[in-house]
Amino acid sequence: MAWPGNEGRSPVRRIVMDALLAAVALTIFVVELQIPMPVPVPGMKLGLANIVTVAALFWLTPWDAGLILLVRILLGCFLTGRVMALIYSLAGGLLCYLAMLVMRRIVTPRQIWVCSVIGALMHNVGQMAAALLVTGTWALLAYLPVLLAIGIFTGLFTGLAAQFLVARLKNLKL
Amino acid sequence: MVKTRTWIIIFGVLLAVCVGVSVLVFCRPAGRVANIYRDGQCIYSVDLSRVAEAYEMTFEDERGSNVVRVEPGRIAVIRADCPDQVCVHDGWLADSGAPIVCLPHRLVIRLEKEAMADGVAR
Repeated sequence: MAWPGNEGRSPVRRIVMDALLAAVALTIFVVELQIPMPVPVPGMKLGLANIVTVAALFWLTPWDAGLILLVRILLGCFLTGRVMALIYSLAGGLLCYLAMLVMRRIVTPRQIWVCSVIGALMHNVGQMAAALLVTGTWALLAYLPVLLAIGIFTGLFTGLAAQFLVARLKNLKL
Repeated sequence: MVKTRTWIIIFGVLLAVCVGVSVLVFCRPAGRVANIYRDGQCIYSVDLSRVAEAYEMTFEDERGSNVVRVEPGRIAVIRADCPDQVCVHDGWLADSGAPIVCLPHRLVIRLEKEAMADGVAR
């Protein structure tokens, strides 16, 4: 197979691993939607599914992480019936992914959480930009500082989770 | 390699700035006129300081409906058929600069100094 990112790995093993992680991410995504938020801010969430994206980015390759992210966003929107939210999710996800691609080259294995925080912040920025473009409602911008402040904490939490996960996954012969 | 300490300082400063701006936005004294926007167009205005009796209105289109309750000095979305219910949980808007937003129906309520809809302010 001429798929980029195989690097000597068996394509079958790779497909299985990516599909497995996408399923894990999707499950986390759907379960997370059931958790009520303490403060009502439009567009705010924990972003727990990003643990899987960050882990795949460092444990596997950027190609795997991108595929898993795309599958999770598309299936997540169709499964939960929030097709309206697809534009926001895609814009946020894309910007988050690109930012984390850059950060991947900068951070050390003990700084994976930094990559995740940057990703969370860029996700909020992308989502907000899409919402502004689609709705033309500049009043939404009032929520951006709140979203960014919360994003630092949620990004830190999911990033630390991914960092511990990657450290342990690397010891496994998978 | 950027040191971990540098990252912590960067995020700390960013956090402080965001919290500061949030406080400014949310505590800014807003006007007394509630303007209701759909798709960025103001469709209804009401001067909250002149409301004598509470009333409810339904804003409906093909995306769904929001029931807005207006009371003397305050306004809220009390029912909506959107999936996330963020606008309902936003609660009462009385004197804050933060708008009530229903993203699925693209409905926004904000307090401003002037009525933005033509001739419907009461």
